Amino acid sequence: MFRKFRNWYFSALAIVIAAGISTTYAQGDALFKAKCSSCHQPHKNGTGPKLFQVRQKWTDGGAKDGSIYQWVNNWQTAAANDPYAQTVSTWSPTAMQAFPELKKEEIDAILDWVDAQPEPGAAGAAGAADGASGDGAAMDAMGTEEEESSNGWVWILMGVVFATIIMAVSGVRRQLKIASAEDAGEDTDEGKTYLEEFKTWAWKYRKYVGMASLVIVIGVIVSLFLSLYSIGVVEGYQPSQPIAFPHAIHTGTNGIDCKYCHNSVTKSKSAGLPTVNVCMNCHKQVNGRTPEQQAQISKIYDAAGWNPEGAGKYTGKVKPIIWNKVHVLPDHVYFNHSQHVVVGGVDCKQCHGDMTKQVEAVKVQTVAELNKIEGNIPLTKPTLTMGWCIECHGEKEISTGSIADTKKDGYYQEIHRRLLNNDKKLYSKYLKDGKVTVSELGGWECAKCHY
Amino acid sequence: MTRKYWKGLEELRETPEFLNSKEQEFPTQMSVEEFLGDENLKESSTARRDFLKFLGFSVAAATVAACEAPVTKAIPYVIKPENVTPGMPTWYASTYYDGVSYASILVKTREGRPIYIKGNKDFGITNGGSNAQIIASVLGLYDAARLQNPTNKGNDTTWSAIDSSVKGKLKAAKKVVLVSNTIISPSTAMAIGEVATSLGATENPAKFEHIQYDAVSYAGIRLAHEAAYGVNVIPSHDFSKAKTIVSIGADFLSTWLMPTQFATQYGTRRNPTGEWMSKHFQFESVMSVTGSNADYRGMIKPSEQASVLAYLLKGFGVSTGITSDLSKANKAVADEAIKSLKATKTDSLIVSDSNDKYIQLLVAKLNTVLGAYSSTLSLQNPINLFKSEDAKMNKFVADVIAGKGPDAVIFMGTNPVYSLANGKAFGAALKNIDTTISFASHADETASKCSFVAPDHHALESWNDFNAVGSHYAIAQPTIRPLFNTASATESLLVWAGKATRGGKDSKVTYDYIKKTWELYGFPSQTKYADFHTYWNMAIHNSCVDSNMMQPIVATPFSDAALAGIASKIANVNGLEVVLYQKAGIGIGLQANNPWLQELPDPMTKVTWDNYITMNPVEMEKAGYLTTYDQEHGLSLAKVKVGNAEVTLPVYPLPGQALGTVGIAVGYGRGENGENIGKAAFQTKEYGGHDTTATGELKPIGANAFALTGSSNGTISYAASGSITKVDGTYPIAATQIHHTVMGRHSIVRETTLDIFKNNDKEAYNPAHVLQKLDKEGNHVEKPISEFDLWEAHPVEKIGHRWGMTVDLSSCIGCGSCLIACQSENNVPVVGKDEVRRGREMHWLRIDRYFASDEEATPGTRNDADTFDYGKAEVAAENPKVIHMPMMCHHCNHAPCETVCPVAATTHSNEGLNQMAYNRCIGTRYCANNCPYKVRRFNWFNYPSYKKFTEVNPAQDDLGRMVLNPDVTVRTRGVMEKCSFCVQRIQAGKLVAKKDGRPVEDGDFVSACADACPTNAIVVGDWNDIKSMVRSSSEDSRAYQALEEVGVKPNVWYKVKVRNEKNDALAGLQVKHHAKGHSDKKNH
Repeated sequence: MFRKFRNWYFSALAIVIAAGISTTYAQGDALFKAKCSSCHQPHKNGTGPKLFQVRQKWTDGGAKDGSIYQWVNNWQTAAANDPYAQTVSTWSPTAMQAFPELKKEEIDAILDWVDAQPEPGAAGAAGAADGASGDGAAMDAMGTEEEESSNGWVWILMGVVFATIIMAVSGVRRQLKIASAEDAGEDTDEGKTYLEEFKTWAWKYRKYVGMASLVIVIGVIVSLFLSLYSIGVVEGYQPSQPIAFPHAIHTGTNGIDCKYCHNSVTKSKSAGLPTVNVCMNCHKQVNGRTPEQQAQISKIYDAAGWNPEGAGKYTGKVKPIIWNKVHVLPDHVYFNHSQHVVVGGVDCKQCHGDMTKQVEAVKVQTVAELNKIEGNIPLTKPTLTMGWCIECHGEKEISTGSIADTKKDGYYQEIHRRLLNNDKKLYSKYLKDGKVTVSELGGWECAKCHY
Repeated sequence: MTRKYWKGLEELRETPEFLNSKEQEFPTQMSVEEFLGDENLKESSTARRDFLKFLGFSVAAATVAACEAPVTKAIPYVIKPENVTPGMPTWYASTYYDGVSYASILVKTREGRPIYIKGNKDFGITNGGSNAQIIASVLGLYDAARLQNPTNKGNDTTWSAIDSSVKGKLKAAKKVVLVSNTIISPSTAMAIGEVATSLGATENPAKFEHIQYDAVSYAGIRLAHEAAYGVNVIPSHDFSKAKTIVSIGADFLSTWLMPTQFATQYGTRRNPTGEWMSKHFQFESVMSVTGSNADYRGMIKPSEQASVLAYLLKGFGVSTGITSDLSKANKAVADEAIKSLKATKTDSLIVSDSNDKYIQLLVAKLNTVLGAYSSTLSLQNPINLFKSEDAKMNKFVADVIAGKGPDAVIFMGTNPVYSLANGKAFGAALKNIDTTISFASHADETASKCSFVAPDHHALESWNDFNAVGSHYAIAQPTIRPLFNTASATESLLVWAGKATRGGKDSKVTYDYIKKTWELYGFPSQTKYADFHTYWNMAIHNSCVDSNMMQPIVATPFSDAALAGIASKIANVNGLEVVLYQKAGIGIGLQANNPWLQELPDPMTKVTWDNYITMNPVEMEKAGYLTTYDQEHGLSLAKVKVGNAEVTLPVYPLPGQALGTVGIAVGYGRGENGENIGKAAFQTKEYGGHDTTATGELKPIGANAFALTGSSNGTISYAASGSITKVDGTYPIAATQIHHTVMGRHSIVRETTLDIFKNNDKEAYNPAHVLQKLDKEGNHVEKPISEFDLWEAHPVEKIGHRWGMTVDLSSCIGCGSCLIACQSENNVPVVGKDEVRRGREMHWLRIDRYFASDEEATPGTRNDADTFDYGKAEVAAENPKVIHMPMMCHHCNHAPCETVCPVAATTHSNEGLNQMAYNRCIGTRYCANNCPYKVRRFNWFNYPSYKKFTEVNPAQDDLGRMVLNPDVTVRTRGVMEKCSFCVQRIQAGKLVAKKDGRPVEDGDFVSACADACPTNAIVVGDWNDIKSMVRSSSEDSRAYQALEEVGVKPNVWYKVKVRNEKNDALAGLQVKHHAKGHSDKKNH
């Protein structure tokens, strides 16, 4: 979205620079971003009304001369003096901030800049095509119901076909053999069934058949056993979601911190899904540039009970968004996000991967994908299995508390002191690899996660 | 001579049943014959091949199901409420009042669901005290049997319909009577006033009458104070100031008056190392929790209360004209009491449970003579609970039965059809009254006979305010949005008075009304807060405020005229006396449908799911009643008759029961006519489903003893003369402890007297266990047991954390709060009577109760080790000393359970915890076999889903499941479980410390049992922290470890019980042995 914004912004900038009024334009741009953009947009109503050609609008509406400047400096003064300004003040219950420091020229610069902004639907379209279609494609990819298209049945079908062909061919061969034997006047073994024939053959080559059978049996047992290990492995699990939410745009392009939406991650066992009112902090204004985006964002409006018409208002008819949970742990496992994020200082990407590049719906990243990420502790066991957890606990270092007396280390300093004072031997054993790991302080014990 | 140890009388006598059961380690399961003999099985014909088919299919299905994880939904809030963080508990300060119990509480909610209640230690008059009933009340919120809509003649209706009918009916009625329990809510009282005014009671007082009626009345105390001091009050009691306590029948630690407050106060003075230790005398009929904690205990009939008081008064030179003949034993106790009272004077406290005005007058007189009203008692700060107007109620009931009742009756917080002696007749007569309205939450005995039921919210759903004591005002706040279409009773009253309109589910009517009351009356009566908003916020945050007394109470000096001719007022009773009492769990039966409370073993009898007739075993043997019982054998049935009323119940042998008396607990027999008061309130069959009579009616649990209440001197009396006759047949009893004595096993419980404790060193009362070993010269020397070890020391003893617990047997009163708190915190399943009878109760924490036998000076100490007779030691003394011992997993550092587990499902953590990984457990039960403390519990069934437990296990319906603690796994069939030391709380506590960047401190981790203990007998913490309370407590001279000689190195310590008594036999043993310079090893 912002990429698109950037695109048409640059193209517009080029035109304006050519016109040679770059100084005021740049000033207007800067001032708009600094003072106005948190509530206003050129072409769209937000917390405040859209500002495109607003001076013209005021003049047309019968406002007094200079009234609009007075409004910007202090809307209450303007509303007192000018009946038109009075009507403007009823546009939204949210009162506008006063900007007494803005001079008339500066206000003009801002509004000039605003007026020079092309309508996103029309003028920006050419420049924005790349970004928009890219995003749209991402949306489409996510919007489609995720169906694990398994090719298994094709193989089974082919297997059946091949088996039929083999049977048919061998039948023909046998008939030919019998026919040629009859021609030669030899005894035919017509009376023998396939099974008897097979028995004879197997007995003849009993050594090889025995060996092969043994190998097959062992192979089957081993593969069965190995396949049991894959039970409960959910790597790559990527359920469809009611809203095609692109993490890449939010945390990648826009650089929103994970904790802004998943805000209980530092406090609670669960990281928390953003509640709809958190979404609305931004989406009250950001309502999408492409029809695909708008369709998705409108789902948030439905949930929040937000009517985006005009200044927008909450209707009070809310309905929760029902997401499909991606990272599901069994009920007998206790996992606490805040323990890992706050105390352990583990980065989100260690377990969830690089969300700044997650264009599609969220999935359980495979351990191979996670290992590719810089800064992650490389692990071997599949993601979200117990092996994966305890492997990390065996690797991850705990601050030993020997570092200077920082407040955060008070807990581990005490543990460190007890270890150092009471069991030097164990202490040096722990430090053999130069670090005290989570497992050495009990991170492998059952009741750390199971109770 | 080899010494033989018997486990029970059955073993000693080698009964055939015992010899048979000896062959089996675990209580018998259903025999094969029994199983195959089941008629239902014959009907189903599953051939072998079919069976194999089913087996194959189910294995395949299970495999397929296991491969595909189900799609889990995640639904965030649309607008997140402030203060709610998913995954984190939110605590609310509130107040509990159900008409009987009162306490300032904290309610823990998770994701908007209240799941746990504990006492508020920071604010309020109860100082963190609560009881089993209060803690368990959270389960009542999720009771599916609660009325979900207002009803009109038993059919659901709407609030608007009920409001218009009721308003019209009340207007038209010539007289409206409101019968309620004691209203201590200022706002509700005002709302009742509004109703009265709206009905024109100001002009015509006869139009509206409000009768306060309590099932268990304390009117006698009020009337006595009215006669003596001119004020109709119950004075406040302060047991923390009482150096001598004489209780005559009052079970003030468990059920009498305000036990939540009293137990906490009492507990502060039971520490022998404190400034002083109280001396507690108890004269009572039924062995109560309080009596079991007394330093001296006398057994009296209820009719002897006056004699005891007269005897004590005589000791202070006051003659009453009442005969003061006491038995020799009681006289000895009374003399000792007089001696102590004379020494402590004003710092004494006399209490009695009698509801007779004249007995209470004697109590008041004795307290006045002692000067207690200037110290332990206060008329200025009275208790506002229990304002039962017995005489008024009696007249009203008589009128209704006679058909002279009013046109309209409103019942509020009361269930007279159940709790009146003539409740049945009253219930039948209710149909003659034009309009009957109830606020009951269930269609209970009374509500089911009312034309309209306007169900009140559960206490955890509604706003309320209370004035329980003097000028102390408290607030109850809702902790969840109402689950059903119910409305606060205050709101209903206001609506009917035309003062408010219905607010629906998110109604603020009651809230606004209470706020207004507090703004008008509460706020001006204090000076601390300048603006109301701050005051109000503080009041809700703390749940209570102390205001200035509005009208000081003017008491006249004690009027001796009130005592004139008192001897003639004391009733003469002959023959058997029947005493009605309350049990710690069931009380007056308000929560009879609460399976946690039904399964709470009674503190004294350890019986679950029943009430019974208590009788002294000495008398029972004479009368030919069975005195032993077990899994297979029940107890004899008997019929108790008082006047025309009778109940048939099993007879339970309770040592310490006064001879010539029997006791019966009230609160049972709820739902006698099959009223829908909750599925756990009725008897269940052996393999599930409700048990029914031949005519298909549900059978209530126990029998209603309120039918036996009588009346004396204008108040309800709870003791009467009656008769008992044996009835044919036996009745199965589900008790968690069948064996009564500890048989002198000194290494389990230890007790001493204050005198010995003060004047001797540790070796006298808490000797170390020793073993002989060879020293360097080859001589045999005795060394403490701690020096012997087959194992290397476990590293937890030095590094990291070591979670430990101490249990002070001196402070433990055996109330059972810890057990219920544990059940609530750890999702401990309810198993029902049949399973308890088989010894399969699941409680992680049990409280062992040991009676002393005649062979023991006190439980655990043999009078004479050489003549000690095991057979006699089996039998509890007639009036035994009692010791309560909470027993939970000891988290042994050399845990025997860990070494025998073939799959390492139970392992030791480096924090000293004995961990249980349910998913690894394959159910061999070797660990339970090897546990010396017998604290491991096996999941014989899938309690949350198997049909046998549908009636009793709340986790079997969607509503009941909401009470489960989401941090603790619900265990499935076939796994072992046990106390985890609340490991979820340990982990949470450590995390708080880690996030704060500081070492773990006391208070970061408090287990549920320690949290709930009203007397702070349980201390938990990090033993490796040398500053921690648990460390210093465990290094106290009284600290010992149960079965220390086994060498399992537990992380739980007990502290020797100290009784403030004179026990020459014990002194002879402990001091003499010590003087001889060796420990009483023969006692081990």
